[in-house]
Amino acid sequence: MPPTARISKKAACRMAEAIITQIITGLSISSILLLVALGLAIIYGTTGVINLAHGEFVMLGAYTAWALQTFIGIGLIESLVLIFMCVALFGWIIERIVIRHLYDRPLDTILATWGVGIMAQQAIRLIAGGELRYVEMPSSLGSSISLFGIETSAFRIFVLVLAVALFGVTWYLMYRTSFGMKLRAITQNREVASAFGINSNRIYSLTFAYGAGLAGLAGALVSPLKSVSPEMGTTYVVDAFMVVVLGGVESLVGTIASSAILGEVTGFLAFYTDDTIAKATVFFAIVILIRFRPQGLFSTKDRS
Amino acid sequence: MSRRTAIQIGTYGFVCIAILLVPSFVDDAFILNKYARYLVFGILAMALSLSWGYTGILNLGQATSFGVGSYCMAMSLKLKTIPVHTGSAGLPDFMVWNNVTELPWFWVPFHSLGFGLAAGIAVPVILAAALGWFMFKGRVTGVYVAIITLAWLVVVNLLIIDQQRYTGGFNGITDLAQLEIFGFTFDAYDSSIFYLIGVCLMVSLFFALAVTKSKAGLILQAIRDHEDRVRYFGYDVANFKIFAFSVSAGIAGLAGMLYTIVMEFASPTFIGVPLSLSVVIWCAVGGRQSLLGAMLGAIIVTGMQGALSESETFLETWTLIMGGIFVAVVLLMPKGLAGAAEALLNRLLKSDDNETTPITSAAHQPPAKRERAS
Repeated sequence: MPPTARISKKAACRMAEAIITQIITGLSISSILLLVALGLAIIYGTTGVINLAHGEFVMLGAYTAWALQTFIGIGLIESLVLIFMCVALFGWIIERIVIRHLYDRPLDTILATWGVGIMAQQAIRLIAGGELRYVEMPSSLGSSISLFGIETSAFRIFVLVLAVALFGVTWYLMYRTSFGMKLRAITQNREVASAFGINSNRIYSLTFAYGAGLAGLAGALVSPLKSVSPEMGTTYVVDAFMVVVLGGVESLVGTIASSAILGEVTGFLAFYTDDTIAKATVFFAIVILIRFRPQGLFSTKDRS
Repeated sequence: MSRRTAIQIGTYGFVCIAILLVPSFVDDAFILNKYARYLVFGILAMALSLSWGYTGILNLGQATSFGVGSYCMAMSLKLKTIPVHTGSAGLPDFMVWNNVTELPWFWVPFHSLGFGLAAGIAVPVILAAALGWFMFKGRVTGVYVAIITLAWLVVVNLLIIDQQRYTGGFNGITDLAQLEIFGFTFDAYDSSIFYLIGVCLMVSLFFALAVTKSKAGLILQAIRDHEDRVRYFGYDVANFKIFAFSVSAGIAGLAGMLYTIVMEFASPTFIGVPLSLSVVIWCAVGGRQSLLGAMLGAIIVTGMQGALSESETFLETWTLIMGGIFVAVVLLMPKGLAGAAEALLNRLLKSDDNETTPITSAAHQPPAKRERAS
């Protein structure tokens, strides 16, 4: 074999390696997007509430993880269930006090949840301080594992697997349980569903709590990867909304597919340019897309 | 002209005159500068009322137009600074620090102050029209508009911070010259700036009022109340929405320019989510369906904020209180303070104005329970 051919083969190998690394990075971004967007999509799809406090639920999850680790000494993995419960409870209370009065004023839910969001943000800033906090990575997942010959952080793989698992749980909950059946009945027609004896208030609060809990889990899982601050929620909520806009709200499949697409595209663009340019490009692409396909990529219903 | 319109114009005129009289009673330059800033926010909130309260376009990215206007003004004023502040060949100082050797092409026209002033309004209008074209022609409505405008705000903010070489990045554009028109200099700490802003406020307020009273304005309100019915009548709903969205952006751009003049710098925080959120709060508190209400809402809330945050205890808790007030207003008083004033006016007029009241008040009814967005 001539030497040049050997070199080009090596280069091709390195190229493939770089591409696989990028795909895995993209999947890692996708899994976090999916976790945040899933709760958002369920809440919006069911109740019609645009939850701008969703980013703050993410932030609360991250702070709960931090508090449990710093003050009580529970590791991240062990505390996940507790974090889910805490943030879900918070979401449930918010739904009881504020959101339930606004179901026939969808635009106002944006305002009310935004107000709740700033209050949560400021409350955390007063209680925990405005400085950055750090959550330790679980020691069992701190190492890196080899995937297709690429060294990858075990924790990122764990997040990916967990995100897919939670997606599965959500799908099961929606399509294979009586709770899910009631929920889908209410989504189709609240009045008729109520006439059949379904307690829609209760289903709504539970849905909201579940969505909030998912956001809390997302926050806990990103906390070892990024620093924890009171403002951290804003970026996540905007990105998650882009997922919902791209994927449409009716289908869970749309949510997972558009998370995957957005994560991969952002990852690749960020590799060639930088994070900001990647974000801006993705945003402009979505704006152009909705002009020609307003219902999103995976949905058949109109945006009205 | 109905009696109600006459009362409205009278009230608007009265408030404007009262604002213009303020410098006669206040001669502290710093306080005047502070009040001038509140007025700028009043213009900004009024612009949002035009798109949100009158047309039903909840624009969460109102600060984008404000910030873009502010940067246009700052670019022009930066190039007017005396050579001490600029680098070689008239380069702004931050470009020199970032090793930019030549003035970028989009900075060149800003050597002309006239261009800068026009761009401060035209650029936000063009950007809004373009974004509006994509959104409204695609029949994106309601909450999706809110989300896309919010994302738009975040993206523009990130881009401006990212492109430090051309925008000054995180620090913004500082060390500006004072605005000089026809040989008259507007000093930021002087009553001249207050009058400039007061007059701009009056002009934009009455311009917006004229828009809402025109036939197009009635169609805008009809779109807010029931978009499909307007479409069945044969109107191109998207064009009307783009119009309202752009006019609102233009007024916000004007407010941004004035803010640069009064603050003497431009910063990425002018395109920040917190400011954009505040605008929505002012509008909601004052009454989104009233131009004057939104404007006064902004002046009252920012005035309260200015007064309260001077004391140590309130500085920290202010945001918390503001969030609480906001949630309460949304829940209990969806039409804000102006709604309460209107209810009072209705009661006063009811006794002797029986023929016109039912018709005009019908236009002020809350929109019929809208179908839930799905």
